[in-house]
Amino acid sequence: MYLTDAEQAVLDGESGEGAQKAMELVVALGKVYGAEGLVDITSAHLSGASYKTIGDGGLKYLRDMADGGAKVSVPSTLNPIGMDRDRWAEMHIGEDFAVKQNEIVRLYGAMGVRTTCSCTPYMGVNVPAKGDHIAWAESSALSYANSMLGARTNREGGPGALAAAIIGKTANYGLHLTENRRPTVVIDADIGDSLFEHSLLGQAVGMRIGGGIPYFRGIRPGPEEGKTMAAAMAAAGAVAMWHVEGVTPEAGDFDVSDLEVIHIGKEELKDAEEKVNTVDDVQLIALGCPHLTEREMHEIAMMLKGKKKRGDTEIWFCTSAAIRERCADDVKILEEFGPVLADTCMVVAPIEGTFSRTATNSCKAGNYLPTLCSQKVMCRDVAQLLKVIS
Amino acid sequence: MILQGRSISRGRADGTVLKLEEALSFLGGVDASTGELRVQREGNVKDRILVFPRGKGSTVGSFVMYDLMVHDAAPAAVVNSSAETIVTTGAVISSIPMVDSVDVALIKDGDRAVIDGDAGTVELPDVRVTESSSSAVFIGDRILMLHRPDGARSFPGRWSLVAGKREGSETHLETAKREIMEETGLTVGEPEASEGPLLVREGDVIWSVSMFLFRLPEGSEVHINRENTEYRLCSLEELKAMDLVPLTLESVGRMTGGR
Repeated sequence: MYLTDAEQAVLDGESGEGAQKAMELVVALGKVYGAEGLVDITSAHLSGASYKTIGDGGLKYLRDMADGGAKVSVPSTLNPIGMDRDRWAEMHIGEDFAVKQNEIVRLYGAMGVRTTCSCTPYMGVNVPAKGDHIAWAESSALSYANSMLGARTNREGGPGALAAAIIGKTANYGLHLTENRRPTVVIDADIGDSLFEHSLLGQAVGMRIGGGIPYFRGIRPGPEEGKTMAAAMAAAGAVAMWHVEGVTPEAGDFDVSDLEVIHIGKEELKDAEEKVNTVDDVQLIALGCPHLTEREMHEIAMMLKGKKKRGDTEIWFCTSAAIRERCADDVKILEEFGPVLADTCMVVAPIEGTFSRTATNSCKAGNYLPTLCSQKVMCRDVAQLLKVIS
Repeated sequence: MILQGRSISRGRADGTVLKLEEALSFLGGVDASTGELRVQREGNVKDRILVFPRGKGSTVGSFVMYDLMVHDAAPAAVVNSSAETIVTTGAVISSIPMVDSVDVALIKDGDRAVIDGDAGTVELPDVRVTESSSSAVFIGDRILMLHRPDGARSFPGRWSLVAGKREGSETHLETAKREIMEETGLTVGEPEASEGPLLVREGDVIWSVSMFLFRLPEGSEVHINRENTEYRLCSLEELKAMDLVPLTLESVGRMTGGR
């Protein structure tokens, strides 16, 4: 692997021990993937923020890094944590968990990471431009950044993305290189306009192709549709990049005439829906995977406006602190039904201590709730879910 | 014997090998506070040279390795056939020396091993290398196989190509031709193909074997000496059912191009 003199100096410890360890990790991961060198990054997005997922080993690692004086050198944001920082008691979370979770957030903050804990940093907080090289973890966010924004990132892991943020560089391979961003298969999509159908489309494509770079025809996703598709494709498969004809910034750069064409229509969506549905009655409805946008918050509020909460089923609305602040009027309506939680979501929170059957409108959550939270899942359109509680 | 691999995580370690035959997930596979293994076999990774083919499973495995280090229960070093990101990340952040691109079949449980994570080497001080040549001799379209006596010092009772140790300063090709003459009475010309050296572990020895392929006309007469008990002229198909010295089938397949 080629390193510049300056990069070699960092590896040799001339910029301190924290930077040296970070460079060691970036170089080691680059070797694993056969990278020829490093590339400068403009931002990072870090996963490994929930105490539930990283445990005591992760907490100790972050403490040692922060105590050692490690600091990020590019704008860096953080994934959702295991609870709302203020309202964890409403999530049935114990104090021991809360103390450790808050310690994790404090440590990231001490390293210079912006602790707006969200899986949708691209919605206004950390927005890369076309052609920017970035080091992002969080499979849905990095897929959105590659595809809808034309930024360039591989599927970084938590410690790897933190290391990249510290040295401001990541290994140059995979999706950082133009030739690897070429579509591998054409998807002719024949689906309706709803957000849920876009989530099912992502699920169906992830199940069908596993990996690769799909090129969609027949849809015109906006930010919300793109968000939910990206999330589902990354959870049902390992898709980190996709194109949409006439929509995404790099779709016109490649000739797709020789590619295999797969049709995804009603039947495939039905198979996808069956795959993520394992139960019909639930204790919790959790919306906001990935985090609800302003438009979604408003649409849900309008559907609930004038209605009364009924039944014992709880409902959570998960978003970022910034969006919660901006949607004060909608939040008032939503709070009549359940808490509007910031900085967290149902997948990274320890909900398995309280619930065993959870509903979502996200196929991504439909994939992860059974494995990460031991839940049986109902996965439906948001309007259908709201009928359960209103 | 020094195996040259690839440097993944820096540092040196000298210890005893704990070998796992299958891919390992540190999450669920190793107790983070004691180092006790929970999968594959009994054992504890603490202070051992942990050798396994590759990592797998949850990315949280990296933090389990860090937790092991914090509890003073981490392996002294890690050796993989092919590194992936989870174990790589865990080794680097926990300052555990790590080398990959090494054939882990050459390393045995209980070996003493010296790992140099900077140079990317695995030294096995108690394992010695013996150089040999091994020849696939075709007579017509049949391959000449020799049966090793049950009392042979290496690979007893197995079927072998015409093989023997290198002597003095002879070249590998000279070894091959001499062994063929001694063991079968045949004189061969230039080899049609060759490869190697291949490395094969047997007990405390790693055989470094140079492979050759020779062709002789149909009807060439074979006279075996006392080193072997029996010979057979076999088709490639028949070889598959025989108890062979390791790597015979693979190497013959490569040298003949499968024909």
